[in-house]
Amino acid sequence: MTRRFFQGLLPFLGILALSMEASAQEIQVTGPLAGAPPVRQLRLHRKGRFELAPTVSFTLLDEYQRTILVGANLNYNITDWLGVGAWGGFGAAKLATGLTEKIQETNDLRFDPNRNPDYNKGNEEAGRRLTALNVGKDFKAQLGTINWVFAPEFTLVPFRGKLAIFEKLFVDTDFHFFVGPAFIGLIERAPCGSGTSIDCSAREDSPAGPGTGAVKTKPTESRVAIAPTVGLGFTFFAGSWTSFNVDWRALPFSWNTGGYDIRGKGDGERFPDNRVNDKDREFKFNQMISLSFSMYFPRGIKISD
Amino acid sequence: MNQARIGLLVAAALLATPGLAQAQGKPATGAAKPAEGDAPKEGGEDGGDKPPDSGGEEGPGICELDPSQCPQIDIPTVAKRPIQAQMYAVQQKYALRVRRVEVNPYWSFTLNDQFVSHPGPGLAINYYFSDVMAIGINGNLYNADFISKDWNFNRDSEFNAQTRRAARIGVPLTEYDWAASLNFTYVPMYGKFAGFNYFIFHYDAYVVGGIGALSNRPIAVIDPDNRSFKSKVHVAPNVGLGLRIFFNRWFAAILEVRDYIFLDSLENTTIPADPSAQKNEKNWYASESTLTNHVQAQIGLSIFLPFSFEYRLPK
Repeated sequence: MTRRFFQGLLPFLGILALSMEASAQEIQVTGPLAGAPPVRQLRLHRKGRFELAPTVSFTLLDEYQRTILVGANLNYNITDWLGVGAWGGFGAAKLATGLTEKIQETNDLRFDPNRNPDYNKGNEEAGRRLTALNVGKDFKAQLGTINWVFAPEFTLVPFRGKLAIFEKLFVDTDFHFFVGPAFIGLIERAPCGSGTSIDCSAREDSPAGPGTGAVKTKPTESRVAIAPTVGLGFTFFAGSWTSFNVDWRALPFSWNTGGYDIRGKGDGERFPDNRVNDKDREFKFNQMISLSFSMYFPRGIKISD
Repeated sequence: MNQARIGLLVAAALLATPGLAQAQGKPATGAAKPAEGDAPKEGGEDGGDKPPDSGGEEGPGICELDPSQCPQIDIPTVAKRPIQAQMYAVQQKYALRVRRVEVNPYWSFTLNDQFVSHPGPGLAINYYFSDVMAIGINGNLYNADFISKDWNFNRDSEFNAQTRRAARIGVPLTEYDWAASLNFTYVPMYGKFAGFNYFIFHYDAYVVGGIGALSNRPIAVIDPDNRSFKSKVHVAPNVGLGLRIFFNRWFAAILEVRDYIFLDSLENTTIPADPSAQKNEKNWYASESTLTNHVQAQIGLSIFLPFSFEYRLPK
């Protein structure tokens, strides 16, 4: 019964939305202002101006490592609603998540006979053997990392308005979208296993014998991924030639964030195949929030009719 | 399967809504007949730029008819006096909220849990006792498996199984049942946007905060053979920010980000060696509670009741 109620409610909401006439401010368009443009004397913050914006971006929903990218955005705004330019940034800070710290700590303990009282028990030995392919001595060093991003892009500004804050402070605002290709400089775990010269599970020597120590830190390599980038954001114009901006950006592409072997064998290649290669990359949406401060040149601002 | 159908219906509802959102509609072309009362009065009393058209020769002025009534004003001096004209960024609020009830159905998405997502429907009801402040309640339903097992909206990411398999690390996971809160809302910001310089729509931004409860339970990951968790209710204060875009004076779209904060009881990551201790529920939970921030985005519709209202002063 309740299920039917919910299933009925949702299409009803859709129908409700469809049946509503959008009649906002009808009074104005039938009055003496009929035919007049919605905005006169609009301050054209963008039209014909270059925009330079130092940015700082924070990645979201990361599994193993958060990245803070520092960079800049350079745009030329052809009109007040269309700009062309590029955003670039480099990974200035890479912060391990709690999960990474936990994996590192567990793995350190797993290979330390002095600290691990269960070191010689079968379960621990199995743990060392089964994780050797996937987790190296320095787990953080094998993580997928965004080193830099360069994204030429178009900026579309469909919505332009103003905002009253506490009915005291008034700021011009706009809501914009951007889209373009992105080139992402990545570091990922290097391919290993069959068909390569790298042993995925190589271990260090120990007093007990060669190849019986901790698993060697996994080697990495760099590559450039190409992906679309899209986003949207708000601009708050602080003056005639400056603004504060908040943007959300997505960089969807596939990569191996943990450096694991997770795919390549079995039905749909959904099971590990004892090799690390491009089949182990997973599609991620790779979202980030950017904060920036824009400066517009020339500094003089135009005003529409 | 049912969830996919429901998701499609929600998407249809949300997609349909902005399709008709044409605040101000298409501007009329040509000057329509001015509404009664809008026409400037003859004689220029309303400050019209042009003098009234007398249609022929001008008659004698007041100074000629009665020199004592002739104004003795130095126009250039008066024109230079400072004027403190008060202009508002938004001359008249498009939609008044005071003494109206807002009904806000929404769908929530988890923003900060990469291990288990907790989407689900929700409903908020607020009463605005002033134009900028409201008191209200809201509720989220994350798990309706009492109706059907398909109605558990919690989603355990495949990434968890991969981590367990690759690194032999079990991450404590939790699924949510419901949340309910008493909230206060404050609307400090409002504004309007011109869309493509063609139509205007109004929006406001608000902060919301409150106190409530959240029910959840751990998903048995570390020792699923022995552990079967029951739901617990936690005190959960919340804070959030929201954006409301008006399609008309009683119908709006809502985008809100809300953080529900609570002390969570996670699954114990260690298993006692003694088989009888393994079955003791006291050993199932971690010894210390964990402060959890459940941040979710809420996308929905807002319906203001009554549908109409009157301004206190004319425009």
